Amino acid sequence: MTTPPAELAGVAGFLRQSLPFDVLDEAQLQEAVAALKISYHPQAERFDAATRPMGLRLLRSGAVDLRNDSNKLLDRLGEGESFHIGGLNADAEVVHATVIEDALIYLLPDAAYQRLRAANRDFDRYFSRQRSRRLRRAARYMPDDNPLLAPVARLMTTDLLCVAPETPIQAVAAAMTERRVSSVFVTEAGQLLGIVTDRDLRSRCVAASLPTRTPVREIMTPDPQSIDEEETVFNATLRMTQHGYHHLPVLHEGELRGIITTSDLILARRNDPVYLVQHLSRQDSVDGLRELLTGLPDQLLTWVQTGMRAEQVSQLLTAISDAVTLRLIQLAERELGPAPGPWAWLAFGSQARGEQLLGADQDNGIVISDLVPAAEHGWYAALAQRVCDGLAACGYAYCPGGVMATTDSWRQPLAVWQDTVASWTRAPTPAAVMRVSIFFDLRAIHGDPTLCTALQNTMLRRASRDTIFLAALAANILASKPPLGIFRRFVVDRDGEHRDSLNLKKRGVLPITEIVRLHALARQVSAVNTRERLEALAEGRHLSIGDSRNLADALHCVQQQRIRHQCEQIAAGTAVNNFLNPRQLPRLAREQLRDAFTIIDEAQSAVRQTYRAGMG
Amino acid sequence: MSVVAPQLLGLRVARFRRRKRLRPGALMDCWQAGLPSPRTDWRSLDFLVVDAEMSSLDPQQGELLSLGWVAVRTGAIDLGSASHRVLRASSSVGQSAVIHQLRDLDLADGEKPESALDALLQAARGRILVFHNARLDLAFLDPIACSCHGTPLLLPVVDTLRAEQRLLSRRSMTPRAGDLTLTGCRARYGLDGHAAHNALGDALATAELLLAHASSRGAGICLGDLL
Repeated sequence: MTTPPAELAGVAGFLRQSLPFDVLDEAQLQEAVAALKISYHPQAERFDAATRPMGLRLLRSGAVDLRNDSNKLLDRLGEGESFHIGGLNADAEVVHATVIEDALIYLLPDAAYQRLRAANRDFDRYFSRQRSRRLRRAARYMPDDNPLLAPVARLMTTDLLCVAPETPIQAVAAAMTERRVSSVFVTEAGQLLGIVTDRDLRSRCVAASLPTRTPVREIMTPDPQSIDEEETVFNATLRMTQHGYHHLPVLHEGELRGIITTSDLILARRNDPVYLVQHLSRQDSVDGLRELLTGLPDQLLTWVQTGMRAEQVSQLLTAISDAVTLRLIQLAERELGPAPGPWAWLAFGSQARGEQLLGADQDNGIVISDLVPAAEHGWYAALAQRVCDGLAACGYAYCPGGVMATTDSWRQPLAVWQDTVASWTRAPTPAAVMRVSIFFDLRAIHGDPTLCTALQNTMLRRASRDTIFLAALAANILASKPPLGIFRRFVVDRDGEHRDSLNLKKRGVLPITEIVRLHALARQVSAVNTRERLEALAEGRHLSIGDSRNLADALHCVQQQRIRHQCEQIAAGTAVNNFLNPRQLPRLAREQLRDAFTIIDEAQSAVRQTYRAGMG
Repeated sequence: MSVVAPQLLGLRVARFRRRKRLRPGALMDCWQAGLPSPRTDWRSLDFLVVDAEMSSLDPQQGELLSLGWVAVRTGAIDLGSASHRVLRASSSVGQSAVIHQLRDLDLADGEKPESALDALLQAARGRILVFHNARLDLAFLDPIACSCHGTPLLLPVVDTLRAEQRLLSRRSMTPRAGDLTLTGCRARYGLDGHAAHNALGDALATAELLLAHASSRGAGICLGDLL
């Protein structure tokens, strides 16, 4: 064996930093270096079991996707990660690798690879473990904690109504009505004798003209089918649907523990957004709301995997935010008593537009009717405090800019709001323009919606007339350039925490919403959702149908990438953010994103011509 | 595909003119290996990627300090073929030591330029030489060849700098400062910075650039396209 020249220290250093080469001793490492073959593979090149030469491939740069024969993504490898395509295919599953970003690959040919595995136990162990590690990683994409597999005990009602067998039917019916339950257990000395349901009262008593003083024993179903509390919800569902039961007693070691009903089973479908919203509206505490929302990221993953589109995802996420906000308001009202007069809770920004994703901040405010005397305003402050704190506890971070109902200037009577809007439009300072961009997207979540409409009408009237104000908004839009350089290459952050990445929200979503908002304000379009605004603008012939669709598509594309990126972060178990490295995108997605930014660029030029003609 | 290869034609003529002066030895062995057809697919050719470090960019003043090379076979760099040679310098290295990390001490132990060139030629037999900015390296290598073999090298040479320059001009881009340096060329293929300025490190970096350049131009790239 030849020792490679010391000048290859760079290669040796890279190996040393890559698993599992770090466990090799110096001589073994040098042996590996001398055996390496380096090759370059452009995007889309494929490796499979038949690819020669065989060996371990270590990525020096670029990225590779590993997929199985049904094209499911098993793993995405980057710099410093390795794969042995022959080794991966030793099992039943067929695996192939595709270069998704031009890759420089160090190949350790099979002879040297096997020699090192034989010579170093730790090196060898890494590869016998690698397969299971990869499977585990792929499994993380599976939404775990399937509610159907939870034990029945988690869903059953334990607050039971039990009666003695000799109790008259009339008394039983009265007790059921009082407790608002649809079934009752007939027990004697703790032993379950039978069950009586609403239906039994109808068919076996009323329809049979049985006197209501008859003992309940006469109409009960004796020895009903039951289920053990440790059995799964799935088994319970199966038993109920097979036999047509709506009620199933839950036992443990022969002792009655609770009951499970068909409506319990329906509500158990926590993955269904409809039921999540239902559940949210039934919570009695902030803790309960927060608990329910912990499953939200996993649900998002499920929705996206089942092919839900970006607009639908953000609609649902917004509906969920609305439900949380509403429930917090109701809980606060329960504590504080009814409001002293008409008011409305306002949502701003992405929540107002119905375009929220995970990790959104709070942007909210309160408008109070002018009829409420100032002395009563304390109630609204107290409510705002409870709701905003509750939202923060549920994962909606406080607005760093203080755009929240707890801030005095964002909680005002209608007349004061109208004055504020007037002053913003009269003197469009940069700060005012910022506020306007948040404030002009608003929606009433709770309370008197006419207050919100009145405020919105004032804004539209003022803004559409004021060309200086519109020009200031336009200047704000033009200040941010789309992140495309010469030759349409992406311009990414060069340093800092998010090096080589793009902020999709700041560079993609915000410019589009700002451009569309400006057009909407200028044309007095009252819609708030960006897509609806675009449709209204096209309908009123303020924008061409082509321009309107292009902007809608661009927004869709950026939002889709944001969601895809967030899903990857959820699956990887990291914090969710909007920073994406365009180089890690598949080629098609990268091209689409590039097109989206080009559309933004063109839309900006149109803004310049329309609102800042002759102003430079 | 390029059918005419002016470089190869030129080499034939030049070799013919100087055939009488060529002395037996490693260079003659190289000449006898013959010239490859310009239509050969680049992946079925062997290359020897070479870099030289010198004490000055001016061949009149400077001298060769070190040579590094690595072979490319069937489209892959073979690290086992890597070699690095430090030459015995006749004068002090001076300021260039800062750049090349070679001190006078190292150079005093070095081998004679003639024997380093022979080692290079032995490795180059049957292979195409590759340099980044070949003109500079050849300006130092050819005089040594002349003095010990009787003629300049007159071997087929791929110059990655010129190949990249042609590629850029074909896309009607005017190269800016730095675009054609080894680092600048590599950056266009997503190859990151390398530990520059030892001859073998630069030869390896050039070899990676050659692979990236040729692979990215698609299938069917042959020798004539690279010369």
